[in-house]
Amino acid sequence: MKERGDKMVRRSFFRRNKKNPSSNQKENFTIKLGNDLEKNLSNVKNMLDDAEDLIIRHFTSGSHKLAIVCLEGLVDKEFVQTHVIRNLQETNDDLSDPAQTLDVFFQKMISLTSIKYAQSLDDISYGLLSGNTVLYLNGIDQVLILGTSGGKTREIQEPVSESLIRGPRDGFVEDIQTNISLLRRYIRDPNLRFKSHEIGRRSKQKLVVAFMDGITDQDLVKEVNRRLETIDIDFAPESGFVEQWIEDSFLSPFPQFMNTERPDKVSAALMQGKIAILLNGTPFVLTAPTTLGDTLQSPEDYYERWSVSSLIRILRYLGVFISMFLPAFYIALVSYHQGMIPTKLAFSIAATREGVPFPSFVEAVLMGITMELLREAGARLPQSIGQTIGIVGGLVIGDAAVRAGIVSPIMVIVVALTAISSFTYPAYSVAIAFRMLRFAFMIAAALLGLYGIILLYIAIMIHIANLKSIGVPYSAPFSPTFIDDWKDLVIRAPITLLKNRPVTTQTRDKVRIKKENS
Amino acid sequence: MENFKYADEQISPFEILIAVPSIVIAVGILILPRSLASVTVSSDGWVALLIGGILAILITWATAKVAAAFPSQHFITYATTLLKRPLAVVFTLLFAVQGIILTAYEIKQVSYTSQQYLFDRTPMEIISLTFLLLVVYAVAGTRAGVFRLNVMFLPIIIFVTIILILFSLVFIRSENILPVFQTDLKGYFWGLRESTMAYTGYGILFFYIAFVRNSKQAPKMAAAGMAIAVVLYILIFLTCIAVFGNVTTANLMSPTVELAKTIEIPGGILERFESIFFMIWIMAIFNTAVIALDISVLAITSVFPSINKFKLLLFLCPVTYFISELPNNITELEVMGEIMGTYSVALSLSVLMLLLIMMKVRGVKNSGSQ
Repeated sequence: MKERGDKMVRRSFFRRNKKNPSSNQKENFTIKLGNDLEKNLSNVKNMLDDAEDLIIRHFTSGSHKLAIVCLEGLVDKEFVQTHVIRNLQETNDDLSDPAQTLDVFFQKMISLTSIKYAQSLDDISYGLLSGNTVLYLNGIDQVLILGTSGGKTREIQEPVSESLIRGPRDGFVEDIQTNISLLRRYIRDPNLRFKSHEIGRRSKQKLVVAFMDGITDQDLVKEVNRRLETIDIDFAPESGFVEQWIEDSFLSPFPQFMNTERPDKVSAALMQGKIAILLNGTPFVLTAPTTLGDTLQSPEDYYERWSVSSLIRILRYLGVFISMFLPAFYIALVSYHQGMIPTKLAFSIAATREGVPFPSFVEAVLMGITMELLREAGARLPQSIGQTIGIVGGLVIGDAAVRAGIVSPIMVIVVALTAISSFTYPAYSVAIAFRMLRFAFMIAAALLGLYGIILLYIAIMIHIANLKSIGVPYSAPFSPTFIDDWKDLVIRAPITLLKNRPVTTQTRDKVRIKKENS
Repeated sequence: MENFKYADEQISPFEILIAVPSIVIAVGILILPRSLASVTVSSDGWVALLIGGILAILITWATAKVAAAFPSQHFITYATTLLKRPLAVVFTLLFAVQGIILTAYEIKQVSYTSQQYLFDRTPMEIISLTFLLLVVYAVAGTRAGVFRLNVMFLPIIIFVTIILILFSLVFIRSENILPVFQTDLKGYFWGLRESTMAYTGYGILFFYIAFVRNSKQAPKMAAAGMAIAVVLYILIFLTCIAVFGNVTTANLMSPTVELAKTIEIPGGILERFESIFFMIWIMAIFNTAVIALDISVLAITSVFPSINKFKLLLFLCPVTYFISELPNNITELEVMGEIMGTYSVALSLSVLMLLLIMMKVRGVKNSGSQ
């Protein structure tokens, strides 16, 4: 076993630890500034090749020549005008020493919360591209970088991908600062920690790992940070890149990170001792570790009363089983085990299959693929056209295909039931995994009947038993068994009974509800 | 990556509790009622099952106790301490052989029974081969994964079996059970022999206790696990006899599957439930085969530590398949089962006896002191 462990490390080292310090992230812009204002400005101009959106504004303050540089669209112009330019232009202080002047600007004149000194072109370029404004002063080799980033970002809206009937309506946006503040508003605990990384050799995106100090297992945080540091990619437009880079098994159909747009879901996950990964530029936040049970939970389960949500969860598990097994089961019964179908039903199935030219497997695959095509088409089209697709598809599949004698009505029922069941998954990434497996089950059933189905089921279970999400077994808390966690698994026990945090994540603070209440 | 104490290669005492019935409950659950009914009169087989069961629980407890006296030591290590190195190697390899033969036997049984109850035209070779490949896939994963599989499957197996018993209650006829205690001593003896063979599998404890995190609790847990199997076997046997009667049970190929055939689920969505039940029991047989093969791998790698697990499996896979193809018909398979049962009982018992005697002689303290 040790050997195997070593091999794993070697493989992942090969895949992940390509990081090498010299080529990492920073291009060579460590040019120092000079004292001459015009020369410094032309350096910036050259670096950006006199970009169209580069704004350079010269003005004077007292006897000093000044210039501010910023990029159009990334800065809040109004802010720069009122808090920087006007303040400096109206000043009466007139010091001769440029260094002293800059210090006065820093201390007294500029009314901004974020401001810092910089000396190299590298810092300036990073500042400019992050939406900050750079203030140049003639005669000194230092500049001020003013935190004026603004411009247009999306408003906080209700998440489109996960709609709830009951629950908070806010969703994450593309801007990471907004997202962090959303989490802060949910959890007003100083122990909510954000550790930031920079992802993307060229894009230099901000990535933040959020966790609760004192709840989350320290090793978990360390491991996630270790993995994140191995990321070496030029540009990561979505957290999916991060997920795929740091997941435990890239061959698995199951997602080892959950993604969500909902701050309430993320804050609940943080409270369960999980970590969250936020990336600038995407509203999708990753949470981990994930287990099989987590993939079938929706935040609404906690907002409704326990009996309701328990029943809904059971319904969801039923949905998983139907959507995975029903077509395969139908194929197995019709092609191998006709004896299992009750006589009357067998007759009616035989009657409806009269004249259908294909074996049931071909029929099922045909319908299954049509269904997937429809769903994919519907997802990519604008909503108004998407509905049309639904109607056309429904008519074509439901009626015309049956009348034309290509598929049997029973098969339409099977496929429709499967499709409806698969809509009960709360998370899209999980739904895809089960959709793929459904076809695998259909093939297994076509080849070996019920025996094939059970073999494939066992194979998937073997896979799940060996799968981990950041070191946490995917099959927990079923096995390894943590009975205490079962209170919030298939059923959701009353809130007052959920006294402890999940054992699965090995939290440091184990108690959610203090004993004094009871 | 191995941050979590429960996620590593160690196993918990609870998983031992599950592993013991997982290896014991196998093909036996399908065919034991027949072999037992054929040597006893009326419903008396349960006495043999009970006595055999109590013996098995005791042996299980003793085996776990011996192994737990050497916490975190592999079988070959403490066997070498107590016996001589060559003897320890021989015993380890004998266990490896037992594992391979057991796997082969289970595979062949699966293919015979599936051919009888699931489909008759599919070639048996394909059934065996797919099953074997699945077993190899499971063993190729981590050992913790094997135990997790047991934990996931055993509750389903027990649940389904109890459902079967409950639904069969309708068909019970008292004249099938009565009269009681008609079997002579010879019958009980043969019955006892059948039942002890059904309970084999405690040999795995020699190997697995080394991985248990808290090995002090292991003997208790292992004995409790064996008790689960004993209770389940007695229940199944009594139900079969009560529904079919002694003579019919003795002549049915797999009485338990036939039992599933008789029951009807209210509502009548499906008929002939035996296929569904058989699917679930495939999981039980799978569990046994996986543990057996895993023990073989573990035994061989403990003797030859330089062998890579995957290369070993690549070698064991065709060997197991070849052995499983040796019996040509069901009668020969039965003989194979008998030989294997006797072999494993003899091996486990003699190793246990030897180790116990040597522990007394060498004066090793019989406690799991860490």
